[in-house]
Amino acid sequence: MPLTWRFLDTIEALVAALWPARWRGATGWAFLMPALLLVGVLVIGLGYMLEYSLHELNLATYRLRDEYALTNYATFLNRPVYGTVLWRTVLGSVLVTGITLLLAFPYAYVLVRTRVPWVRKALLVTLFLPFFIGQVVRAYGWLIVLGREGLVNSLLTGLGLPAQDLLFHFPAVIFGLVQYMLPFAILLIVPAITAIPEDMERASESLGAPWPATFRHVVLPMAWPGLIGAGVVVFTLTMTDFAMPEILGGGTTDFFASAIYDSFFQISNPGLGAALSMVLVTLGSLIVAAVFALAGPGTLGIRGART
Amino acid sequence: MTDQLSKRVVLWGLVWFSIVTLSLPTVIIIGASFTSGDIIRFPPEGFSLRWYWELWQLSDFTNALLRTLYVAVICTLISLPVGTLAALATVRYRLRFRRSIQVYLLLPFTIPLVVSGLSMMILFGEMRILGQLWPVGLGICIINLPFMIWSVSASVNAIDPDLENAAMNCGAPPVQTFLTVTLPAVMPGVITGGLLSFILAFNEFLVSLFLTDSRTVTLPVQIYNSIRSIITPDLAAVSVLYILIALIAVWLLDRLVGLEIFLRSK
Repeated sequence: MPLTWRFLDTIEALVAALWPARWRGATGWAFLMPALLLVGVLVIGLGYMLEYSLHELNLATYRLRDEYALTNYATFLNRPVYGTVLWRTVLGSVLVTGITLLLAFPYAYVLVRTRVPWVRKALLVTLFLPFFIGQVVRAYGWLIVLGREGLVNSLLTGLGLPAQDLLFHFPAVIFGLVQYMLPFAILLIVPAITAIPEDMERASESLGAPWPATFRHVVLPMAWPGLIGAGVVVFTLTMTDFAMPEILGGGTTDFFASAIYDSFFQISNPGLGAALSMVLVTLGSLIVAAVFALAGPGTLGIRGART
Repeated sequence: MTDQLSKRVVLWGLVWFSIVTLSLPTVIIIGASFTSGDIIRFPPEGFSLRWYWELWQLSDFTNALLRTLYVAVICTLISLPVGTLAALATVRYRLRFRRSIQVYLLLPFTIPLVVSGLSMMILFGEMRILGQLWPVGLGICIINLPFMIWSVSASVNAIDPDLENAAMNCGAPPVQTFLTVTLPAVMPGVITGGLLSFILAFNEFLVSLFLTDSRTVTLPVQIYNSIRSIITPDLAAVSVLYILIALIAVWLLDRLVGLEIFLRSK
């Protein structure tokens, strides 16, 4: 096909003219530049956020004062409501992480170990379908399941039991979050389980270990990096989540993200909201660093690196 | 033998609980969308396509749908080349400061979404571009960039570098090597990443909430606002649209690269 050849030759010549061979060493950086610039937009935005957090709101004009002050951070420390919300957020995140890992681990294990192709396919589809459906739609589904006239209550009344107020309480939020995090956790644990040779388990079992012992002493330790990676991702995503607590909690069980949102849009104090954002970023990073220091970086540490 | 039996019972018990938890909202939404009644309840009253018809009539929702598609297309068009090149650069080229670059490129994933969304709201506000639609696509592209880079770099890791060397040795110039050897080899990752970008952008809620106003509201934000006011069955009909698109995405992913690709160990 001479036409394609000529076309390719032209492009080749064009590229050679625009990017001479002696620049070849910098090609990697040229490839990287667009991504660095895009993330740069976010970094500049964060810079603005930090700057905002250092200015107090002038209540007369509803604008941020020009001089620098730490008033917003002092407000965070002095108002007990922020402590309460933060405590609820951290407690909720610990609960969600625990329950999610407990459910995700057997799912990932069965997914990897099953020998029946259609079972594997069905488990994969069950996993990916909600993964591709956004939080708002899934929260809406839970509203129908748990609502006053919802599925659970019609089952209860059908059995002659009194209807329950399930929505707008802490457990509903936890449950919604677990469902949201489950696909992430399973996908992060799966590679760790794939890496365990099945012979290891057989060896343990043929030596007479009952399966819980095999799990405890063989499978869990070998899957540990995957569990740590999944746990950290689930914890940080939960700790910063907005939609589930907002929709399923109905304003009664706000998480920290709701407090940030309210500072910006309800009490119109961007300085305070920015300070709370900085607190959330710092706290999240500290917790992740602490987990990595205690338990090792897990699978996240080597992500993308060549081994 | 009873040992194996109890293992099956415990494992499958937990797996079934997960299956129900994962699928229940989807199944319920589909059921509820066909109700003929005026309120959402379960089991639904009667069967009709009434709410789908009403939805079609609501210009709010159809406009929001068009805007969401526009935003998702912009996001995918930006993240495809940017993410592919960045993945090739971080894996194939010997760059200095590689660890720092990786940490930097993961920032959109490690910074909480609320904070990223509000930061970009402030920045775009200062740049006077808030209220237009393309910055929403750009913002969503930025926060999902790590997913794109991650799916492509998984494929890049799997290429044999000797393939490119062989092409070069046989006289292929750099662009031809790139187009005929490198790009086809990373295609599965590019397809997965592109699909993921589109779906994530189509579903993105929190960042859109901050970057849109009443004139540029996208579908997830519109659904959220409606949930906060009155819950009518037309919401179930919109949600079914989301479920259908997710089904198509899962099917495409399975046909193009195979879902089993996610079961590989790294």
